[in-house]
Amino acid sequence: MAQTAVQLNQLNAARNLVLGDAALYPQIVNGILPIVGANSRVELRRWGAEFMAETFSSPVLSVSLKEQLAPNVLQTIQDTLALPETDIAVLQALVQTAASLYPLVFRHIVNHPGDNKSWETMTMIKEDILRKMDSFPCPVKICCVKFLQRVVQVQTPGLISDPRRPEQNETSLAIVPRTHPVLKISYLEAEASGLLDRLLGVFQEELCDALIVNATLNCLSPLIRTRQSIANKIINTVLEFFPTRHVRPPFTPTVRVNVKSMERTARALLVNIIKKNQNHPYVGKMQIYIERLMQARLEEVEDASRKRAFPIEPTDGLDTAKRARLDALAPPLMKIPPMAPGPPSYEKLFTLTEDAALSSFDVTQLPIDLVVKITLPLLQRVNPSMLTQAIDAVRNRYESITKEQNLQRQQQQIATSPDDDEDDDYEPDYEPMDVAEGAVDERTPAAHEVADLQPDLVSLGPFVLPQPPPLSEEEAADVGRSAVARVFSMITLNETAPATNKGKTQQLGFSRLAGSTFDRDAWAVLLTRLATRAPAGLEPSGKGESAVASRRQTTISDSIRETLYRHVLEDFRGRLNIGIGWLNEEWYNDRVQMKAAAARRDESGEEEEPVVPLHYDRWATRLLDGILPYLDSRDIKVTVRFLSEVPEITIPITQRIASLAKDPERVNLCVQALMYLIMFRPPARELCLDTLEHVYHTYEESRPAAGKVLAKWRPQAIQATDEPSNGSSAQPADTQTAVSQEPST
Amino acid sequence: MSSNFTSTTTLFHPPTTTMAYDPRLVKSGSTTPQTPPPPPPPPDSAPTMSETTDTIQNEAPKDSWKLKFCTVCASNNNRSMEAHLRLSGAAAAFPVISFGTGSLVRLPGPTITQPNVYSFNTTSYNQMYEELHDKDERLYRTNGILNMLDRNRNLKWGPERFQDWIPGLPRVEHVSKGDKGSLGTEAGVVDVIITCEERCWDAVVDDLMNKGNTLNRPVHVFNVDIRDNHEEALVGGNAILDLANRLNESAIAQRDLHGPGGWENGTGAARLSFDESVPEILADWQEKYPNLPALWTLAWL
Repeated sequence: MAQTAVQLNQLNAARNLVLGDAALYPQIVNGILPIVGANSRVELRRWGAEFMAETFSSPVLSVSLKEQLAPNVLQTIQDTLALPETDIAVLQALVQTAASLYPLVFRHIVNHPGDNKSWETMTMIKEDILRKMDSFPCPVKICCVKFLQRVVQVQTPGLISDPRRPEQNETSLAIVPRTHPVLKISYLEAEASGLLDRLLGVFQEELCDALIVNATLNCLSPLIRTRQSIANKIINTVLEFFPTRHVRPPFTPTVRVNVKSMERTARALLVNIIKKNQNHPYVGKMQIYIERLMQARLEEVEDASRKRAFPIEPTDGLDTAKRARLDALAPPLMKIPPMAPGPPSYEKLFTLTEDAALSSFDVTQLPIDLVVKITLPLLQRVNPSMLTQAIDAVRNRYESITKEQNLQRQQQQIATSPDDDEDDDYEPDYEPMDVAEGAVDERTPAAHEVADLQPDLVSLGPFVLPQPPPLSEEEAADVGRSAVARVFSMITLNETAPATNKGKTQQLGFSRLAGSTFDRDAWAVLLTRLATRAPAGLEPSGKGESAVASRRQTTISDSIRETLYRHVLEDFRGRLNIGIGWLNEEWYNDRVQMKAAAARRDESGEEEEPVVPLHYDRWATRLLDGILPYLDSRDIKVTVRFLSEVPEITIPITQRIASLAKDPERVNLCVQALMYLIMFRPPARELCLDTLEHVYHTYEESRPAAGKVLAKWRPQAIQATDEPSNGSSAQPADTQTAVSQEPST
Repeated sequence: MSSNFTSTTTLFHPPTTTMAYDPRLVKSGSTTPQTPPPPPPPPDSAPTMSETTDTIQNEAPKDSWKLKFCTVCASNNNRSMEAHLRLSGAAAAFPVISFGTGSLVRLPGPTITQPNVYSFNTTSYNQMYEELHDKDERLYRTNGILNMLDRNRNLKWGPERFQDWIPGLPRVEHVSKGDKGSLGTEAGVVDVIITCEERCWDAVVDDLMNKGNTLNRPVHVFNVDIRDNHEEALVGGNAILDLANRLNESAIAQRDLHGPGGWENGTGAARLSFDESVPEILADWQEKYPNLPALWTLAWL
């Protein structure tokens, strides 16, 4: 013991020495380490730890000297921590030392990537402190808060004040090279982010410790000032923190000291930030927060000092003792009957009793001085909570009536002046307090009708969007195309969706209306109409007055046609419906256009033939051209269906069909298709017979099949050719079978 | 002894002109650090010692550890210096330093609009004393300014500004100059700061944030609201001493308890660590002094 005292005296003398001359630090520090190491007496450990804390925080000892001294000291700290150390004073000083050392060692490693050992020791110390932090006694925990702050500060990127002079830059993640072998930036940054959450976690705890909160608040300023990336997060967390919410009654003097100190410290921090940066985006928020803090303090803590503390509701909802007390304190609930039905009136509004006799009593019959005599003592004695409840009840009623009336007035406006949409003026309906009773009654009858229609409308006036700027033609065309693209996407979308009631829609038959069922077909109809009828009359007359103009004008409808064409072709077997519908629309449109043109000509009496752009022929042949190459010899159903359902068979179409016979495999397809048309499409019969005859004469392979058809419908054609060949004579029986084999679509 | 403080040199001049301290310093500097110099009697600056330090000398073999204090008011003249006197002169002889947070030292003048203004850190109490003594001795004697300055010049050299203080910067020269309460503050750090006005508390907390908390050392910052006149300063100084004694008692209890004996031996309230006991101590103290509204936070040096 005596020896320890002597040693301490010697150590104190040494300390006085270095305080006088900082240059002696290296000698002294290295000299005392063995004396105050992990295994010495607690007095010596204390002295040593406090001396190290003092040394590494000293503003007179240069950073480079501190860096040199760090490795030896690190080992001692780690050994002492690993004991494990239990003395509060020693732990406090060690954690302080670690906080001072952390940036030093970090910087050292940045510049000396080879010194793995120092970094490992530092990391072990860090992990040890962070792991034990929550179990440390309070004074040590406070120091750990500062250690956390230091680590976060170091491991978050800071400002590079001068890239040319790295030694002057503040120690932060920003000075670590991307390729550093030991310090992995992403890992360190992630760790810092986690530690920041831990640091700020104290503000979210239900019952907070004023010491830790104050310690945290007081060390946040440097982080906010120098670490842009996390500043707003920190400020936001502080702005969410209201000390009065984190304490529990009873409000003892100690609790009041704690709350007041947290409030004043939070305020000091925000004032500090605002002073540093007047233009901070959060200045307004921070000022509001400060005001709120002061208010909350006045209301809750100051009041609590005079009044009995009110019970705070238990958060877990299980604390029955407190729950019971809360019930006991609750004032008797007043029974508020719903307002009397019928048109509202002031009488009904203020009637809170269900006693009919009482509510029918007319107070105005009483002389005014009597009323005063009764009312004043009554008001003095009335139960304040009852009065509040009654006022609230009337207020609620009044608000709901006002809302209803606003709604109703709005409806009336819409109903009476539907054309007033151009009026951009914003005129919210305002129900003045002194609205006449008569006015209330007047509006009531209409209210019930409209309320059903639009119950959710709030009391704002109608809002009319301002007119958009006029589109240029190119823009309009672009927008048009994108709209078309969207509709096409609807079609494909609906295709993938399960078609559940397909059968039902087909059953509608002739009573069906185009586009009335919102499925794929409806969209297809819409598109075809868009392509065919929408631009009717807008198209150029064909005389080619202005080629450019005409091309531009036809773009939209032609682009729809083009897209439709491609759409059908992509899967013509499945989408034949759309294709046929489209061609029908085209044909119909052509007719209508011609009729209209003829009518115009008759009216104006012009001699000139009107020219109507006709689309049917062009797109029918084009679609057929597209389909034909892909037709298989077994595709008779598709072919026949197409040919039978398109509105008009033209020479180009029959020529295309005839061309099928070039392919020996599809000769039968060609003949059967033509035969179908001959049999079931009388208007096209002659045309088809001509074609068939042509096929018969041109292609050898078609003769067996075509001959049978011709034998029935145009025997003379075979006879003309039969003479030279004298081959297969068509027999009636065969013809019969051929006919019976026809598809029955 | 007061002749020491009449020098007009700057406050932070190097301690080369002092006796008693310097020879030992040179001597031990020449020896190797591994074998520290033979132990002189523990408080070694004997010539500058006053009666109060003798008590430390007696306690020294026991545990002479105590909290280090800092008192702050606006001009580092009336309230903070009264507290400085009480703390340094107390039985415990607390280590104490003192500061002002104003931009300038302001002392009352002939009228309220004509204060006497001095700059911090470069004007000594003695200078002020002599200047005012020459100006109007009767006035400044009756309003107590000369008495106050006389007290101050016997405590330390001159008023210091808090915002210019660099925590952790050694203050050995204050010890060698014999500033009262300087023993124990050689390292330039304190455990407790007590301000005498809310404005000063705000300024101190704000300035500590600005200083960047580089020492990583916690410090309890109190405010004890004292009106700026001699009578209140006396009352306030007394109350501050009371607070300091209570805090110190708790801090020593923690050190003793958790020392060789270990944490486990403590029971009940004594088990509360010093830091944890601070709000309770302040609350108890406040009940005794309801006219001196107090405030507290835990900040960083």
